[in-house]
Amino acid sequence: MGESRQCAICGQPATVHVSHIAQGKMTQVHYCEACSQGKGATDPAVFKLADVLSAQSASPSLLCPSCGFSDVDFRKRGRLGCPVCWEVFGDALGGLLAKVQHETVHHGRSPAGSAADPAVLRARIESLRRELDAAARAEDFMAAARLRDEIGRLESSLKPS
Amino acid sequence: MSVRDILSAENELTHMLGAQQAVVLSTRVRLARNLAGLPFPGWAKPAQREEVATRCLQALTALPRFRRGHVFRMQELSDLDRAVLVERHLVSKELAGAKTGAAVISRDQTCSVMVNEEDHLRIQVVKAGWHLRSAWQLAEQLDDGLAPRLGFAFSDRLGYLTACPTNVGTGLRASAMLHLPALCLSGHMDKVTRGLGQDGLAVRGWLGESTEAAGNVFQISNQQTLGHSEEDIMKHLSAWIKSVVEQEWNARRRLVADEGEKFADRLARSLGVLRHARLLTSAESMNMLSHLRLACDMGCLPEERRSVVDRLMIEGQPAHVQALTGAELDSDARDARRAAAVREALGEFPEVGPPTE
Repeated sequence: MGESRQCAICGQPATVHVSHIAQGKMTQVHYCEACSQGKGATDPAVFKLADVLSAQSASPSLLCPSCGFSDVDFRKRGRLGCPVCWEVFGDALGGLLAKVQHETVHHGRSPAGSAADPAVLRARIESLRRELDAAARAEDFMAAARLRDEIGRLESSLKPS
Repeated sequence: MSVRDILSAENELTHMLGAQQAVVLSTRVRLARNLAGLPFPGWAKPAQREEVATRCLQALTALPRFRRGHVFRMQELSDLDRAVLVERHLVSKELAGAKTGAAVISRDQTCSVMVNEEDHLRIQVVKAGWHLRSAWQLAEQLDDGLAPRLGFAFSDRLGYLTACPTNVGTGLRASAMLHLPALCLSGHMDKVTRGLGQDGLAVRGWLGESTEAAGNVFQISNQQTLGHSEEDIMKHLSAWIKSVVEQEWNARRRLVADEGEKFADRLARSLGVLRHARLLTSAESMNMLSHLRLACDMGCLPEERRSVVDRLMIEGQPAHVQALTGAELDSDARDARRAAAVREALGEFPEVGPPTE
């Protein structure tokens, strides 16, 4: 390693050099000490992320109106600035998500109180009912009351509004 | 409450309160969550991070799970106390170095929440042994308790919005800590790691560091967080954990059959060294304790001794040795203290016998 290289995540001088072999093709990524430890230089997801980032151009073309974060910042840090950034950089991230996550659309929970998958909700209510039975048997009335409330809340969110 | 209380309090991982198991040391579930309308910690201004810390700590301490628990602000802790929390996996290295970082830890140390790490909130549940279902249920309860109080950043299309694209969607990282001495001894670990990697699972060492896993302990976790439901992610992980545990047992049976007396001899030698050494480095003690854990699993030592071995693995880490001694120690003094603690704990151990498993 005669030439000096920069960390793919933060741009500091790199001291950790990782060769990654996938499908018979070898690529190299460079990290500074801190990023290699913090993020796990052997983590394939981080590796791909760095790979995608270093392939992009150097001048800022997108700016988040909410937090002032730009696509150049993203390339430097590999992290977004705020939740709104996800909308702003959505198109650019589409390709990246497909590479890092292999998927681009969420399937799973949503925050309590908002619309959720009824099947998941029903399974959750079932498991809470079992906990409620156990709490009642153990005469833990505080826990039982809390579980009853929770079940009531989930049941009401199952009914069409 | 101080970090010293964390060290002395009985908990699942060090005091056999949970059922200790062969092969699987612990199960972990982690959820990444952020507050809507505020920049992620890495981009937020100090005042915004402070606002996040205040709001999150208020919401967290109101949850029944954290009643009589611990609240730590990283900047109020000594370097040593922070290092102890990192070694216990209760906080990450990254959080320990964050000025506005804070952590709330349940009294039984099963649930911990990091505030102002890479995301506003990192909800974590750790159970001794393989208990993904119950770990998930606890994490889900905490998530449901916090969501209405804090208002999480969420998009119907992308799920929970996180600072890093590797966490977006479910924000779920489910993992198991596995003790795989026979797969390592027989040289099959590389193959297992490759297989896991090709199917979307990551393999890391004991403290998240890279290849050489101290004490043959590996963490296996899901890589992808987007596009699959929590249920599917956990099913996928479960199937693989079951398979790796089976492969480890097969490798153990092969070792016993192939090696004959050599198998127990190796374990007995480790017990001999641990019982008599005056100096033990962290790596050496981890690797020899790994042999003792294997001995407990295989019936060479009584199974109930396994919890002692698990406790020594955790308490033999550098910051733990110092915190338990009550003083900062240089590396030589640590090695001496570690050896003394191990000698004392293993003094009553019986001899290593032939395997019965």
